[in-house]
Amino acid sequence: MKLLRNSYVKENITGYLFILPQMLVFLAFLVYPILEGIRLSLYRINYESEKFVGLDNYATLFNDPVFFKALFNTIVFVVFIVILTVGFALFVASAVFDKNAKYVSFIRGSYYVPVMVSMVVMSMVWSFLLNPANGLISYLSRDIGLGNVNLLGNQKTVLPVIIFVTFATNVGQAIILYIAAMIGVSKDLFEAAEIDGASRWQVIRKILIPSVGPSTTYITIINIIAVLKIFVVIQLLTGGGPNNSSVTLMYYLYNNAFKYNQLGVASAVGVIMFIVTLLLSVPQLRSMVKDK
Amino acid sequence: MAKIKNKKKLEKFDIVSNIFIFLFALLNLFPLYWLFTSSLKNSSDVVKMPPDWWPTSITFSNYMDIFRDQPALKWAFNSMYVSGLSTIIVISIGSMAAYAFSKIEFKGRNVIYIVFVSSLMIPKEIMIVPLFRIIQDFGMVNTYNGMIWPNVAAAFGVFLLKGFFDTTPAALREAARIDGASEWKIFTRIMLPIIKPGIGALFILNFVQVWNDYLWQLVVGQEKGMKTLMVGTATLMQDLNPNFAYKMAGATVAAIPMLVIFLLFQRFFTSGMTAGAVKE
Repeated sequence: MKLLRNSYVKENITGYLFILPQMLVFLAFLVYPILEGIRLSLYRINYESEKFVGLDNYATLFNDPVFFKALFNTIVFVVFIVILTVGFALFVASAVFDKNAKYVSFIRGSYYVPVMVSMVVMSMVWSFLLNPANGLISYLSRDIGLGNVNLLGNQKTVLPVIIFVTFATNVGQAIILYIAAMIGVSKDLFEAAEIDGASRWQVIRKILIPSVGPSTTYITIINIIAVLKIFVVIQLLTGGGPNNSSVTLMYYLYNNAFKYNQLGVASAVGVIMFIVTLLLSVPQLRSMVKDK
Repeated sequence: MAKIKNKKKLEKFDIVSNIFIFLFALLNLFPLYWLFTSSLKNSSDVVKMPPDWWPTSITFSNYMDIFRDQPALKWAFNSMYVSGLSTIIVISIGSMAAYAFSKIEFKGRNVIYIVFVSSLMIPKEIMIVPLFRIIQDFGMVNTYNGMIWPNVAAAFGVFLLKGFFDTTPAALREAARIDGASEWKIFTRIMLPIIKPGIGALFILNFVQVWNDYLWQLVVGQEKGMKTLMVGTATLMQDLNPNFAYKMAGATVAAIPMLVIFLLFQRFFTSGMTAGAVKE
């Protein structure tokens, strides 16, 4: 009896020691910043001095039209980029997954390469391509008689362009995940469908898409969260312009913190984004926990 | 399966889809082609209208300018150091925790694991203000430490490796214990070697993620010599040098290491990413 008790205590201690290093880093650089962020959002901060101001920073946000513009743009980006990414990746994966292995790996690779070289590099190329004076896209538009275009300088076109660039750069990850999931779908299902004389479209709609449901949830959520913090493409392509028409929450947060020195207001934006992220990730967390 | 399908005639819908997908893939690669060829043109050719679809006279002067005017080698070293060390730490502390969550029965195990996993969904960027103040208090601005530690806080390694530990048989641990092996020995000598593929996948995924990280490195590495390759390259956008070919050469330098890694380790990407995704 005593021996059993001893080994139980020992097992517990061993367990805690094994998770201790990760736990310390987790507490210091993740949990503590979250709590500190919530606290800072209630203060007015001026270099060394801090003054408690209650919800003033949040009130400032809700009186700032640029904040609402940032919120609106971020929602637009999330909705359009995620729908495009999931839809297109499903389309590509379902058309490609059962083809010759070399072809599959070519498609996978060519869509994934832009993900690898990063948003920074892709933004730099696109900014060159879209440059109104000597970019290739402006040249082509003049060539086919559309005249001078400045897609990034026009409030009507700037959002669609950013949506397209972000989508085209990042869709590769979703494609890889879908192809892997579809290759894993039981072959019996396809054989049964073939015997029944189902068309390819019916197979995709009735078998393939329902079978990869969990992947769809996962891809949707990681993409929502990735687009929520969209920053690089805004900083490098538009700087939030023209006239704040492409500003996003993350860009707004960054400017408040590191340009205008409004640390309290920036923290409040962070807290709002934290709550949104947490709410959005509940379904995924549930499935991860169940999975265990 | 593929063979059966190939013998049968492909449906028209399928053919049209694949042609479109193939063409769009080429279109998607075009910006990279344009990046690379532009970096080899001289400053007037690169903005010539109509453009040269192939560079007519190839020059490497832009690359020479990048390495002369910018501390590009230092940036590359910084990126290598920060990504490499972050990844080694993630693997070390993550594998220990993952092993404990998978194999050791301790009190509160499930609750702690759920808290760890929920951190995966929270991007560190939204806490950038408090995080920066903490780094400031530690005196870690413009240091490698400041860039590295926030990158190892999220439990991505724990989550990915736990999946691999879960597939190893529990009997292995029991047998080793009966032989008198300590927990540490079981972990390092028996379990870690078994999950090598998982460690490989984690290494690649985490390395690439830190390498391509931008916002946090931008905030921490403020001195020119302390920038990472991504942040340093992005500063070329505001550089006084108006030559587009020069900027494109910088972007190419930033792109090449990851392209090489991808071509060498392609299979790890698929296996690692799907291990991190949902199992059915």
